Amino acid sequence: MRLLVIEDDPLLLRSLAATLREENYAVDTAVDGADGLFKATSADYDCIILDGMLPVFDGWELLRRLRPVKATPVLMLTARDAVPDRIRGLDAGADDYLTKPFDGEELLARIRALIRRSSGLATSVIGIGVVSIDTGSRSVSHHGREVSLTAREYSLVEYLALHRGKVVSRTELYEHLFDEDDDTLSNLLDVHVSNVRKKLGPDFITTRRGHGYLIE
Amino acid sequence: MNRVFHSVRWRLQIWHALILMGVIVALCMLAFRLAADDRRERIDRELESFERAFMKSFWEMPSRKTQDDHPPTNPSIRDRFMALNDATQFPLEMRDLFDPEAAESTYLAYWDGEGQALFRSANAPDSLQIPSLPESDSDPKARMRGDFRELVHGGPRGFRGVVGRDISADRAALRRLGWQITGSGVLLWFLGLLGGWWLAGRAIKPIAAISQTASRIAGGNVSERIDIANTADELGQLSHTLNDTFERLESAISRQREFTADASHELRTPLTIVLSEISRGLKREREPAEYREILTNCSHAASRMRSLVEGLLVLARQDGDPRNRPRESIDLAAATSETLEMLKPLATRHGITLRSDLQPSFCSADPQAIPIAAANLITNAIVHQASGGSVTVRVFASEGQAVLEVADTGPGIAPEHLPRLFDRFYRIDPARGSDGGHTGLGLAIVRAIAENHQGSITVESSVGAGSTFRFSVPSGESALRA
Repeated sequence: MRLLVIEDDPLLLRSLAATLREENYAVDTAVDGADGLFKATSADYDCIILDGMLPVFDGWELLRRLRPVKATPVLMLTARDAVPDRIRGLDAGADDYLTKPFDGEELLARIRALIRRSSGLATSVIGIGVVSIDTGSRSVSHHGREVSLTAREYSLVEYLALHRGKVVSRTELYEHLFDEDDDTLSNLLDVHVSNVRKKLGPDFITTRRGHGYLIE
Repeated sequence: MNRVFHSVRWRLQIWHALILMGVIVALCMLAFRLAADDRRERIDRELESFERAFMKSFWEMPSRKTQDDHPPTNPSIRDRFMALNDATQFPLEMRDLFDPEAAESTYLAYWDGEGQALFRSANAPDSLQIPSLPESDSDPKARMRGDFRELVHGGPRGFRGVVGRDISADRAALRRLGWQITGSGVLLWFLGLLGGWWLAGRAIKPIAAISQTASRIAGGNVSERIDIANTADELGQLSHTLNDTFERLESAISRQREFTADASHELRTPLTIVLSEISRGLKREREPAEYREILTNCSHAASRMRSLVEGLLVLARQDGDPRNRPRESIDLAAATSETLEMLKPLATRHGITLRSDLQPSFCSADPQAIPIAAANLITNAIVHQASGGSVTVRVFASEGQAVLEVADTGPGIAPEHLPRLFDRFYRIDPARGSDGGHTGLGLAIVRAIAENHQGSITVESSVGAGSTFRFSVPSGESALRA
């Protein structure tokens, strides 16, 4: 999953990005409203974490300009905790609102919930045949036994599972599994797919030549 | 009872009642006295004219001997009196003199100089005795004898006469009049009380309204104001004064709320950093280098919070009790010079040249506050411009003020920011985080210090031309005199 974090305080931005990357998200960053809007409209993120008070133009203004173009889930992070501000944020198009200071675990759980919901899922556990994917604990089990996957492998499985039944192009996978700082080598994706097949069964991921991959 | 004594309305009413009662009682007594005097005078006049009429008739009566031109002698008078036994000789109104039963009518009696009774009307009371000799010959002397009002007059040769009447009926009438007057007085008093109660109520009503509004405002609804119907009268003035006070109360409360909100807002982001870093750090085993990085980040954030708290404390001290402010004679130049020394490393780091022109300028000031003001102004000048610029600091005395001037060659400040530049947490770019220890309180602290010393802080700036801040406090002599 690929996230965009837009926050003007450099120290906080670094901390958030580090925390999210350790949770195996691909994370892009922006420090002001303009840069954030540009990035948010240029790529498909699975979730945007947006600070309210930003230079150039603020988070609420960014939302106003983003919403007509993109339906990306947005979680607003801000020090403004008054009810009118919350209402304003949610009405402007934010899907969730967290006030600073917040608990790190809560932030992660809310991001997971937003991503889950935007994929149309209601629960955090996805069952596909003999494979069970717990998006909460980020673990996968095969025939009830936990399978060890690398971070990238898990991200791949999670993404395909959340878009189950849809063919996901390689480009899309690149976009959502790697952030802008990653070196994208085509082969890397194939290696991950092949490793997943070894661990979860050869039929788990189906290849559509020329189109992409899917989980049926 | 307490309530009665504490209520203005009741006190008004009681005083009104007492005063009104005093006035009415005095009036009633006066009226009664006038009526009594008038009646008494009338009775006396009646007696007098009765007696004169009697005398007239007496002398006009025919008698045995008519001796003209001779003053009547005692014997002849006695004779005339003896001949008085026939009522028909007298006019109608005097006939009762001969009727022993006519006790309510006027009676007469005369005595000669030797004390012999010359005449005693039939209706004269038995108690009537010869009076003592009156002092003057002519003026009748009035006297009360029990129920009888009598006029005693003396004549030539010790002659005495008494004319009188039983006035118990008159007295009864007067008593009745007295009760009537009293009754009316009481009635008037009650009417007066009612009127007074109503009047007091009308006067008190606006006060009650003001008082209720004031309690509501004091109870929490600080934006309400007292309705002023008539601004010119005393209650209108009172309402105005109260409304002004409430205005100041409301703005003080909202300033305080704003301050608390701003302060907690400012602290949230560094707090979030600390929590986020610590939570991240504890999630898994890490290399020492990673832990060090996390701890360093926490330390930076904590430093930021400390700067903020310190700034807030300085401001709070400036806001505090005026009596606790120490004053010493300070040389502004010396304090500024020390501050410049302290800030040299910062200037070097930012690549800024410091220039100074410091002339001794004394002022009476808080020795801890002045260096803070100088430091804030100079630090701002250093950090708000690009490397290569300069900051010029001047201290001089001018027009009774000790002046500190800090000029920089930075980008300048747009005019729309100038009015609010010295507000707490005001930042030209509203989203700029408090990085590098910049808390947004620096100029607010300078302003508070200036105000506490009855001084001033001004700024001249235009975009592209740099800024000049001028901080001045009254200089030594006048400040000490003030």
